[in-house]
Amino acid sequence: MRLTALDEICEGLGLKRGQGLAEARAMFPNIDVADEDGAADRALIEAIADWCDRYTPLVALDGGEGLFLDITGCAHLFGGEEALLKDVLARLLQMGFDVKGAISSSPGLSWAICRFGRGGVISGERMEEALISLPVNALRLEEETVASLCKLGLRRVGDLLHLPRASLARRFGTRLLLRLDQARGANEEAISPRRPVAALSAERKLAEPIQAEDGILQLTGQIAYSLKPGLEARGAGGRVFELVLFRVDGRVFRITAGASQPLRDPSRISALFSERLNAVHDDFDAGFGFELLRLNVLQYDAFEISQDDFTGNGRGEISLADFVDRVSARLGVDCLRIAEPKQSHLPERAEVFVPAIMARPVQRKVEEIFAFAPRSERPLRLFRHPEPVEAFAATVPDGPPQRFRWRRLVHEVVRAEGPERIAPEWWLDGQDGEERDYFRLESNTGRRFWIFRQGHYDAGKVPPTWHMHGIFS
Amino acid sequence: MAGNATAQEKLFALREQIARLEGKSLPGLTAAKREEAAVHPEHEKAKSSQFRLALGVPSMDLALEGGLPLDGITEIRSRLMGDAGAASGFILSLAAHLKIRQPDKAPVLWISDVVSGQEAGLPYSVGLRQFGLSPQNILYASPRKLDDALWLAENAVASGAFSATILEIRGNLRHFGLTESRRLGLRAKAAQRPLFLLRHAGKEEASSASFRFLVEPAPAAGRRLPDGSLLGGSIGHSVFRLTLEKSRNPAPLSFLLEWNLHDRQFSLARDAGETFSSRKEPAHPGPRLPAPVDRQDRTPVVGTVVALERAS
Repeated sequence: MRLTALDEICEGLGLKRGQGLAEARAMFPNIDVADEDGAADRALIEAIADWCDRYTPLVALDGGEGLFLDITGCAHLFGGEEALLKDVLARLLQMGFDVKGAISSSPGLSWAICRFGRGGVISGERMEEALISLPVNALRLEEETVASLCKLGLRRVGDLLHLPRASLARRFGTRLLLRLDQARGANEEAISPRRPVAALSAERKLAEPIQAEDGILQLTGQIAYSLKPGLEARGAGGRVFELVLFRVDGRVFRITAGASQPLRDPSRISALFSERLNAVHDDFDAGFGFELLRLNVLQYDAFEISQDDFTGNGRGEISLADFVDRVSARLGVDCLRIAEPKQSHLPERAEVFVPAIMARPVQRKVEEIFAFAPRSERPLRLFRHPEPVEAFAATVPDGPPQRFRWRRLVHEVVRAEGPERIAPEWWLDGQDGEERDYFRLESNTGRRFWIFRQGHYDAGKVPPTWHMHGIFS
Repeated sequence: MAGNATAQEKLFALREQIARLEGKSLPGLTAAKREEAAVHPEHEKAKSSQFRLALGVPSMDLALEGGLPLDGITEIRSRLMGDAGAASGFILSLAAHLKIRQPDKAPVLWISDVVSGQEAGLPYSVGLRQFGLSPQNILYASPRKLDDALWLAENAVASGAFSATILEIRGNLRHFGLTESRRLGLRAKAAQRPLFLLRHAGKEEASSASFRFLVEPAPAAGRRLPDGSLLGGSIGHSVFRLTLEKSRNPAPLSFLLEWNLHDRQFSLARDAGETFSSRKEPAHPGPRLPAPVDRQDRTPVVGTVVALERAS
């Protein structure tokens, strides 16, 4: 067992990471030791990263020990880089985290300054000077490289800067030069943000935290109103919206809601979230209130502007879209579905159910034209999976049964129509799909069924099986 | 005197209000309406038939006072789950008939519980198209709980986006009683949209539906040959055996209704009366062939035990 992390006091005692636990205990018998919980550490850093979303949408994790924030173009919103850094550190300190931070024009240098320097803001001119005094392990190198550099007496980054690059690369590999360039900002290093950047986003900071759902919805409407010009400029309307709620104690809630039509209307957007808030009610704990609300547009589509006529008939379509959105937001997208025809002559493959919120009218029309429209009658209700039926006294070889047992009840057949043969789709089922002979049967009680025989009556072969596939009106 | 007159006026106003709540006509109101009708006859006629779905069968429309209400609940129930085909067939034929009468683009919403879907299968779009309903005009909702289903039905009716809303439930549910049905009925009245309640395997129950039908399957009409004769042994248009259980008429009314899916219209089945002989029990029930013992439908024991034999 080895030490993986230390607090300030233990560091002061002279313990090191990677030291054996037995050794540390022998030196200091009264230290407290806890098992490492990787998942909890990860969850904590993720939560802090979520909280940091308030400063910039581009937040990346640096292993399990740090965060990179790309604040390009964001600093002025918080009164400059200095003020931003101070704000971040002060707020995190209030929450109980002792954090070091640095702002510079390259991620590598910020990383080095945080860990081996004093932090703070490093302007472009002072970069070299800040870098010179840092030890070589501030360059994020492997242990062996650091060890061999130290053996040669190259302890500071400044010692490396003026050496010929070719010989350095030959001796220590290109990685050293890469890291050196990244720290100097000569080589652009990309950080990988945790979340995709929203196409459009607007937010509202509150002096007084709010708790009530009504207040949240009203504010959402106001924020949506400020999104409207952005959407109009793109000629678009939002399809997927995300409401991000920053709670006072640092917890962040994200609520996503989809719309069946591109939306711009603030009242409809806030109505979407009203249903969503109802649906997530149990997991949604306002605590001491929310201090920051942000509305993101994650997906948008072209907004078709339709002209209303004087009779006001356009109202119906809007209320339908509104209804679909509200149901999907409250009960999930799978609750409300629509059947799309498919090109297949097998009854169960001739339609698929798609969520109504995703149905595309244009595509559907094309499918509609090419869909297989059978001449013979099809049942009103179809069983997704044909149910086994015990058929008695069927006319051999290809007649309907006189009687059959379905769900433990015997039905006497009075009238029958058929067979209608439906061949398997060899391009999907392969060669050994069996053809089906369908019959419409009417029982003595007046019920009408659609049953089929799979296989043939043939001497020396397995007898065919009968299945119930649907019922007629 | 004056006090008496104001009290009477108040009483009349209250009566009027009650009548309006109950949807009944009051002598005073009917007189006023009649006067208006005398001035604009065609206008008045259009107004009264606007919220009624006439089935096109004179005797039935008479019993329904002009047709099914398009601003209220109509309940359709079946005795057994096995009759689901006939019940859903009748309700979908009503929806298709409504579409013919009001050719707008408003879709139909079908709200069904999970059990009905498993027991009787899901509505099949290819069959529906043949039945007269375009599949893109039907939305299916499958809520998990009854509360969700009621919420859906209420909002669907109130939104006015659907030409008809069908709520399919199974049996008589405790949490769907008179209060809930009254609420749905008021929504439908306010939004002037119809709600069809399809109750599989249900009993008669007090509700705010203005009409309730009992649907039973009936043998289909035969296919008609070009010369007008029937093709023997063929299964043609669907026939439903309907019993109007709840209406303003005191006596339940029963008839056989045929849905012609090519012409998309209803008609009374021609051979009414001679069907349903098969439902009756045979005159002399005798022991049938013994069935396997592990099945439900084995032959009941013939006769009853009058006295047990003495043990000793």
